[in-house]
Amino acid sequence: MTHEAAAAAPFVMDTAFWTATTIFLLAYAVIVSEKIHKTIIAIFGAGLMLVLKILEQHEAFHVEEFGIDWNVIFLLISMMVIINLMRPTGVFEYIAIKSAKWGKGDPFRILVIFAIVTAVLSALLDNVTTVLLIVPVTILIADALEVDPLPYLISCVLASNIGGTATLIGDPPNIMIASKAQLDFMDFIYHLAPVVVVIMVFYVFAIKLIWGKKLKTKEELKKRIMAMNENEAIKDPLMLKKSLFVLALVLTGFVFHGVLHFQPATVALFGAGLLLLLSKTHEPHHVLAEVEWPTIFFFMGLFIIVGGVVKVGLIKWMSLQILDLTQGNLFATSMVVMWFSAFASAFIDNIPYVATMNPLIVDMAKQLWPNLSGVQLLHHPDLMPLWWSLALGACLGGNGTAIGASANVIVVGMSEKLGKRISFGKFMLYGMPLMIMTVIISTIYVWLRYYVLKI
Amino acid sequence: MKAKDLMVPLQEYLKPGTTLKEAANILRTAKRGEEKVGVKGLPVLDETGKMVGFLSIGDILKAVFPSYMSLMNLGDFTWDGMVEDMAKKAGNKKVSEMMTQKVISVTEDASLMECVDHMLKSNVKRLPVLAKEGKVAGILYERDVFFEITKAMLDENTGGGK
Repeated sequence: MTHEAAAAAPFVMDTAFWTATTIFLLAYAVIVSEKIHKTIIAIFGAGLMLVLKILEQHEAFHVEEFGIDWNVIFLLISMMVIINLMRPTGVFEYIAIKSAKWGKGDPFRILVIFAIVTAVLSALLDNVTTVLLIVPVTILIADALEVDPLPYLISCVLASNIGGTATLIGDPPNIMIASKAQLDFMDFIYHLAPVVVVIMVFYVFAIKLIWGKKLKTKEELKKRIMAMNENEAIKDPLMLKKSLFVLALVLTGFVFHGVLHFQPATVALFGAGLLLLLSKTHEPHHVLAEVEWPTIFFFMGLFIIVGGVVKVGLIKWMSLQILDLTQGNLFATSMVVMWFSAFASAFIDNIPYVATMNPLIVDMAKQLWPNLSGVQLLHHPDLMPLWWSLALGACLGGNGTAIGASANVIVVGMSEKLGKRISFGKFMLYGMPLMIMTVIISTIYVWLRYYVLKI
Repeated sequence: MKAKDLMVPLQEYLKPGTTLKEAANILRTAKRGEEKVGVKGLPVLDETGKMVGFLSIGDILKAVFPSYMSLMNLGDFTWDGMVEDMAKKAGNKKVSEMMTQKVISVTEDASLMECVDHMLKSNVKRLPVLAKEGKVAGILYERDVFFEITKAMLDENTGGGK
């Protein structure tokens, strides 16, 4: 049976259905419990799907509908390679120190500037990379000013999840949605960046309310910041020029990839190859070893697990349930998707969540418009708000709890090493209200833009 | 020549519950051999005499070095008095928090080449030497191995031994 036939045929709840569903549910349960490393579960679950013949290996590796989304995989790997090559130049230290000096040593001004810088960097790099590059400097600055580092830690990680929402490459859910829905970089800029800018304005007011009055320092400590010379951060000016050239090329490539008919992964892979070549490194294995392979394999395993339940019809069954619930009202559906996504991503990893939701939305579209296919189906004007609601919910939902996004987990880990552990409750105290605020803004945005103004 | 022939018998040790402040003082005043004072590392033994870790000067440096500094190149952006401030905070940490837990050690009968092997591959300058029942009998210092090597180099007749 070809996969087109499988998708069209009504599903039956046979042995394969229950086997695949059990593997899927067990894998997700173990991932949530964190008893075993999530990458191991993803690989093992994928192996089970193949060994038990739920999926043929050919389907897992080569069929877009059921298998690994190589566009996502190569986009992630290529961006990691580019950043790994850029890091040693010192450019990120330079940006962070420059930002702190721009804040003139005032702790609250620095807090705001760091939040904005983090949001902008997160829109261009992935969030985990951004917090790893910014948070260490913010703690150093807090130590220099002898103020509590916690506001800096929390505000940066929340800002990184907000900023990441704005672009195709900013956050893994967006990369996955873009690939599945065949949306390009400018679609994300056009549809998501405006609301993210609005959210950031509200966010800055919110952090002023929370920490504005608490952060005070002595005048003489400000001199420590002003005495720092950001130019000392640049360790390799030549490599920096090469990296900035390639980064500019890649970003230009992203802006025009839709027009030029390149997939984002093509643009990123070319950039990674070019920068490797320009770097004249004789030891590419160092750069390649620093790629976060556990994350990459987590994605690959999940794609196969989800492919299994797509093939047996579980996802189609779920999409029917949702349509039943919302009576086919797409505004209601997109609101359900946004709010459910936000709370789901706050408590479970948004990567497996979006991996499941993507085919679910495609299936939903197939129910609604059975005569359409391809881009006509995926880009149906009534379906578009659903993709944006999913992206906004899944990305912003990451702010809800300490485990909502990988960046949060990293920052909580850092706080522990500092001896100032951010507990689950403490994170939620800040994260949850701010998440709800950002999702309310998004709700108003989606309602106003797509259902009232219809632009 | 075996590890036990070259080691300095154990005189002082640290306990896991000791504070870094006290431990640093012990390191400064501990006797090394007969006349020299001050050691760069001591084994940490629990109440039964079992070795549970090793605390060296490097571990004390790590205690004042903030974890975030290892994530990026921030050395250029530090200030006067930073180490002293961190030292004040680190003084009350326990030895058990900062000690190296996986200690590379040798048995009394280990050959000298085995000791050199550990020193080079694990980059350690001091090797605890364990007696048969697992108790620490002494410490073998890189410097003493070096003297042994020079002795052999300078001995024209045999090229080794006494």
